[in-house]
Amino acid sequence: MSETNSSTPDTTARPPMDNSGGGQPSVPLLALRGISKNFGPVQALQRVDLDIPAGQVTALVGDNGAGKSTLIKAIAGIYAPSSGTMMWNGQEVHPHTPRDAAALGIATVYQDLALCDNIDIVGNMFLGFEDTSAGALDEISMELKTVQTLKDLQVSTVKSVRQLVGSLSGGQRQAIAVARAVMRDARLVIMDEPTAALGVTQTANVLNLIKTLSSRGISVLVISHNLNDVFAVADRIAVMYLGNLVSNGPISKYDPSSTVELITTGASERVEPHPLHSFA
Amino acid sequence: MSSSEDLSASPPNLVTPVTEVPRWRALLTNQLTVLVFILIALMLFLGNHNSRFFTSSEMSFLLADFSGLVLVAVAETFVIISGGIDLSVGSVMAVAGVLAARAMQPLINSHTNEAVVLLLGTGVALLVGMVAGAINATLIVGFNVVPFVATLAMWYGGQGLALVWTGGQPYGLNPGAQTWSAATIPGLPFLSWLSLIVIGITVVLGLVLRKARYGRYTFAIGSNNFAARAAGIGVKKYVGSFYVLSGALAGLTGMFFDIRLGSGAPTTGQTTTLIAIAAVVIGGTSLFGGSGTFLGTVLGAAILIVVQDGAIFVNVSANWVPVVVASVVAVASIIQSGRLRLRRRS
Repeated sequence: MSETNSSTPDTTARPPMDNSGGGQPSVPLLALRGISKNFGPVQALQRVDLDIPAGQVTALVGDNGAGKSTLIKAIAGIYAPSSGTMMWNGQEVHPHTPRDAAALGIATVYQDLALCDNIDIVGNMFLGFEDTSAGALDEISMELKTVQTLKDLQVSTVKSVRQLVGSLSGGQRQAIAVARAVMRDARLVIMDEPTAALGVTQTANVLNLIKTLSSRGISVLVISHNLNDVFAVADRIAVMYLGNLVSNGPISKYDPSSTVELITTGASERVEPHPLHSFA
Repeated sequence: MSSSEDLSASPPNLVTPVTEVPRWRALLTNQLTVLVFILIALMLFLGNHNSRFFTSSEMSFLLADFSGLVLVAVAETFVIISGGIDLSVGSVMAVAGVLAARAMQPLINSHTNEAVVLLLGTGVALLVGMVAGAINATLIVGFNVVPFVATLAMWYGGQGLALVWTGGQPYGLNPGAQTWSAATIPGLPFLSWLSLIVIGITVVLGLVLRKARYGRYTFAIGSNNFAARAAGIGVKKYVGSFYVLSGALAGLTGMFFDIRLGSGAPTTGQTTTLIAIAAVVIGGTSLFGGSGTFLGTVLGAAILIVVQDGAIFVNVSANWVPVVVASVVAVASIIQSGRLRLRRRS
């Protein structure tokens, strides 16, 4: 049952980065170089370099005001960076609107904001991209695709896809928002605090969903304050401190206490500053 | 291998009710059932009280009054579901009716071809309505004026213009209008051509709200404006279009009254705005936007018209009719809110 979904034709193929056997680092899905952003005199981001490899979960951590949200907004096309370049699969890109970013395959999932409570799951999954036949909404086609996508992502807590989204729990809403992104062929899903305000079971469901995404070759960039969650799902950690990206690398180089040190002081004796391009 | 078979077999099972609700409560909490029940009860009561109620002349009268309300009520449904409100429809009806009559009057007096006269009148009424709607839309979308205020201004200004452009005197359109409004469908003496056209437009609008992208986006915008924008829906364009649609249908209703009354009068539609909103609310549409039904509005309009016209059959004097209608609005609203409470509890 577990791998039957890989027969679907769309996004399941692993990107080429994994077959670089010779230790030569392959092109990351997203590479940020020297990204800075200032709001007037305030430097929110200072020359951030970050690689997001395909199919991995990168946790972006940092204290309040460290620049995490500014960074994801720059990636998602909400803020234009003041300077720096953004490479997508090795190509320089400049997403100026969320729609540009979505066209590239970058989807941002907002926990509460981006779904319509009074519309059912199917309607929300397809909002703005409805299937139609002869001018009428093709509900059957949309329902089939919704059911299949939720099945692929192993979202099993939803009783009916005709439920209004307003009746869903926070974790379920999150799952629907993610499923919507996956159905739009997202290659990178950005999640801002996906488990904030969720109960234990729902948190576990969302973390499972994140793992499922990465197992399907979709990259996830997740902001979280909860280090338990970070160490449960992340393949890599990127730590921000006062607008600087002070450390990033595979999760094996970190433990909760060194991460806390990095978050609070910007440095840790136990984690050497990590050079770029050194994927595990 | 088996996954593709699973896929084709599974979907119907997923479309099941979320929670099992007792049947009586499901029936009671279904707003349409309640409205149909109220409508039937009212009509049976009136028919029982006065045998003249179910005659075809009375039915055609009811249908005509219904036709004069239902288009603006349905337009208002779109606007309210999208999270706005249009208070101007009554005045737009008057202005459009007056200008259409002003265009038609000389042609009727010179015995021009009837089709030409009707086409011209309809065109003028539609155009005037759409212009008024476009002004509302510009204020609301372009200048961020709250819909309540923008359309209130249009309502008041429209009343003034209707008086200015008539000098207070209606433009008479007879004998032409009389024959047009009296024409009925062969074999169905209670159904005039005029009502049939209105019902046809209404059905199309109902399908659009329920089955088309346009309707889906109406709900999306009223439900979560941010989500609609994030999904790439041109929210401003759509919001503007709701007011233009509302204006257009108010214009057509103005033309309808020209024909029905045989004149373009500045006083047309004075109470229509609020009756239309009452029909929408009775129909279960939320004034907060995001939810509502087309059939609810149609039934709401039907109930209001039956009460208003039926009051005469139970010897309510004309002056008391508004009070009776008001009571029905109040009672229906109480039933609606009780229904919502029941549903929430289940």
